[in-house]
Amino acid sequence: MTTTNAPADALVERPSLRRARLRESLAGYGFMAPWLAGFFALTVGPMIASLYLSFTDYDLFAPPEFIGADNYARLLSDPQFLQSIKVTVIYVVLGTPIKLAAALGVAMLLNAKRRGLGFYRSAFYAPSLVAASVSIAIVWKAMFIDDGVVDSSLRIFGVELGGWVGNPDMTMPMFILLAVWAFGGPMVIFLAGLKQVPGELYEAAEMDGAGRLRQFRNITLPMLSPVIFFNLLMETIGSFQVFGSAFIISGGTGGPAGSTLFYTLYLYQRGFRDFAMGYASAMAWLLVIAVGLITILLFRTSKAWVHYQGDAK
Amino acid sequence: MSAAGALVLAACSGGGDDAGGGEPGSGGTVDPDEEISLTVVWWGNDDRADRYEQAIELFEAEYPNIDIQSQFQAWPDYWTARATEAAGNALPDVFQMDLSYLSEFGTRGQLVDLAPYAGGELDTSGLSDALLASGQIDGAQYGIPQSTNTLALFYNPAIVDDLGIEPPTADQTWEEYVAWAAEAAAAGADEDPRLYGTGDFTGVLWLFVQYLVQNGHEVFTAEGDIAFTEQDVIEWLNVAQPLRDADALFPAERTVQLAPLGGFTVNEVASEFSWDNFLAGYLADSGADSLEMLPLPVPEGGERNMFFKPSMLLSAGANTEHPEAAAAFISFITNDAEVGSIFGTSRGVPATESARSQLEAEGADAQVLAYEEEWTPEITAATPVLPEGFGTIEAEWLRLAEELGYGHITPEEFASQWFAEAEIALG
Repeated sequence: MTTTNAPADALVERPSLRRARLRESLAGYGFMAPWLAGFFALTVGPMIASLYLSFTDYDLFAPPEFIGADNYARLLSDPQFLQSIKVTVIYVVLGTPIKLAAALGVAMLLNAKRRGLGFYRSAFYAPSLVAASVSIAIVWKAMFIDDGVVDSSLRIFGVELGGWVGNPDMTMPMFILLAVWAFGGPMVIFLAGLKQVPGELYEAAEMDGAGRLRQFRNITLPMLSPVIFFNLLMETIGSFQVFGSAFIISGGTGGPAGSTLFYTLYLYQRGFRDFAMGYASAMAWLLVIAVGLITILLFRTSKAWVHYQGDAK
Repeated sequence: MSAAGALVLAACSGGGDDAGGGEPGSGGTVDPDEEISLTVVWWGNDDRADRYEQAIELFEAEYPNIDIQSQFQAWPDYWTARATEAAGNALPDVFQMDLSYLSEFGTRGQLVDLAPYAGGELDTSGLSDALLASGQIDGAQYGIPQSTNTLALFYNPAIVDDLGIEPPTADQTWEEYVAWAAEAAAAGADEDPRLYGTGDFTGVLWLFVQYLVQNGHEVFTAEGDIAFTEQDVIEWLNVAQPLRDADALFPAERTVQLAPLGGFTVNEVASEFSWDNFLAGYLADSGADSLEMLPLPVPEGGERNMFFKPSMLLSAGANTEHPEAAAAFISFITNDAEVGSIFGTSRGVPATESARSQLEAEGADAQVLAYEEEWTPEITAATPVLPEGFGTIEAEWLRLAEELGYGHITPEEFASQWFAEAEIALG
């Protein structure tokens, strides 16, 4: 009996299995519904609205007026827009690698087994928790003004730079230092990555007579490359969006003399100081496109230098 | 006693026939039996909040059925918040308004025209016509001026003494002022910290506006266009050129570092132009024993032609459900004698005689009052009507002034860049 029934049972079961699957996915979507609703209402919706607004003249009061690509055309001849790109690109290109190098360096130091390691890890991680805060921006400004801690300490060594805050040539180093100081985020990820590198590799390399530097170049870096790639990507995208510290330190002006006019700060000024929401939306979309392109570019180049374990390469 | 005074005033503002029909202004009156809640918003600091709270308490005692919900922000955040509210049709019932933004909100139908309430809930009889007019656009009364201020040249007698030079005088020309500042900077060159006569005052757009009026120029046309030329801007910037050439202006670098304070408030600059109601703040920040105030210098061959500017106005959001209650509140704050004495001159000199009547004139208040009184005969011009987008062109002026201070641009480049921006901002 059982043998003859078995195929029939299987036939009957198929639709019920499908139904069970359907029920399961419905339940899944049901649980996701709040998130989906939020995603469409708070992310996709506003993005579509902002894309539309970028083709309009909109001052928040009067209804938006369609003006085609005028905003984009105007941006190209806006000296402040070009200045904001310059400031942001310098910040990303100089700041990101230095920050990652600092993070990796400290992560390697903290990877060794030492006493009080937990304390050091927390101590190095702590700044990144507060770096984006308003209070640190204020502290930073206080440190770098005339007769601030930095100015007076440098003077002991005979370096006379004066206050950095008021000097357009020194504001960028100041911002990069602030970014580098907050290397805790990528550092923790590097630490996790370093833990994954098998110790035998180093032992084997040591047997073969490879020095520290050689071990770093031929083992650590390749083994760590996926993590480096991840950190590079995240930090680059994050750097493009720097805003809070620039807003606080320059008092929202992007000064002195435009030297801290970061892209997002200029976007904010246009949108909320000048009520040029269409113009600001156009800027926002150019940023989305630029970050998108850079992400694609990074992924393309990553094939050449990122090695995943188990990759047949 | 003063509460009684407030009652009398309120009764007056209710109109002669106290029938409650709201006949005089035909703008409707407050129903005393209806429970009304009003939101009131202003920019300022804790000190102002404290004063508003006291004033609101008086108002609520006067109108027990009206409950006031108040809040405040600092200046820049204030306008961001209002812009977003305006977009969402959710402006406060009553909020502090600045002349720079009156057109922005008024011409776009965001504010209640208060004219119909005048004579009813709103008593405007204490305001001069010229002052009242500064709150009007095309005949609609979008804001009620609260107080006046006018520009002044502040100087610090202690620093002038220190420098061993004569103080500036009331009848100097702009050229003479510049020569005086050069002398001051030369005398202060060896001091530590170095002392200066002045900062780059040409970076203050309002002073340029004042300079144009002094020379008999129109500033903005009735259509909201610019009525001066690039050449006028260059001429104004060049007023301070001798100081720029001689490195005799307080350095831009230091100004940036000191913000929000300034060279004058840290006692490194002998003089500074500002609105007269800044006196109390200056005294507090600088710790100076005394500061003197002079009227603006006169241009060669021009007139003094200073003007009173409403230092702030009160407006009602167009979306308010209780315009009559809003009008009553504005009227109370504008006219009540006790409210006047609560605020003193912290918002400028109160605009109405009744609000000034119980002002305890002492200290900085007395000095500001005396200054405005003494120079009233010289304060002859009307406040220029500001175009939509004035806030933007003012910010752009300030930005370019900083570039000029760092020597990145010339006055000519300043003028052409500012005009390029202004053309877009003013549409």
